[in-house]
Amino acid sequence: MLNFNTPIIDTKEYSEIKISEIEPILKINLRGKSRDFVTKIGKELSIITPVDPNTSSSNEKFNLLWLSPDEWFLYSNDKIGIKDANFLENKLFNEISKVKLGSVTNVSDHWIMINLRGAKIFELLSAGCPFNFNNFKNSKGAVTQTLINHIDVIIHNKNVNDLNLFVRRSFSAHLWSWMNDSARFI
Amino acid sequence: MFLINCPYCGERDQSEFSAGGEAHIVRPKQPTELSDDQWAEFLFMRKNIKGVQLERWNHAHGCRKWFNMVRDTSNDKIHAVYKMGEKPPLK
Repeated sequence: MLNFNTPIIDTKEYSEIKISEIEPILKINLRGKSRDFVTKIGKELSIITPVDPNTSSSNEKFNLLWLSPDEWFLYSNDKIGIKDANFLENKLFNEISKVKLGSVTNVSDHWIMINLRGAKIFELLSAGCPFNFNNFKNSKGAVTQTLINHIDVIIHNKNVNDLNLFVRRSFSAHLWSWMNDSARFI
Repeated sequence: MFLINCPYCGERDQSEFSAGGEAHIVRPKQPTELSDDQWAEFLFMRKNIKGVQLERWNHAHGCRKWFNMVRDTSNDKIHAVYKMGEKPPLK
């Protein structure tokens, strides 16, 4: 059952970097291999399922990120109430999991979403990340899964100098501390 | 440190991957019929050669998919990367 607990609830601003936790956001993990599964997601969410690696698609309500050839990550654009979250989860569960097309897992409490904005956010991330952001930062909608300061993250390039970063709850406070500490020196 | 071209995600740093040892070791069809020595041979014994080797790797901090790699263990030069289930490229 969702309770939307969050360990951070904070916003920090530095020179050309703004870091804020955005919660509660609905996050659902979708896994499936068949073409029917891919079609079903698109139909239920009115969104094109991204099948190209490291890409995403969006509509007014949701973002759908490619994680691997048989895994996608859905999250809401705006903050969402438990009632609406449960409704969507149940809808997807009934249409996908129940008919054994794939799996639907609500991971809203598993991941924490941190929004980063500003001209120097890639400098901040590069301070502790092996990923090459040169092409990524110019590709709107690009997605990557990588490590920051040895912590697993999913990064979604929403717009120019506007990222959503997802980190596991248990690592979120540590990553938050690291980002704030690093941002002071950039 | 070296770069690995994940067949799904593209070129990434080695720190995102974990090595899974020698590839294409066929599991015995009837393990119960094997002697302890034969079972130990399958489970533990690896060639561990110096030179070009077929290996399994996992993109642990990315797409989490397993794939195969042809790597020279003496200088970390990667000759080829191919998906699970595919045959290794000809030498």
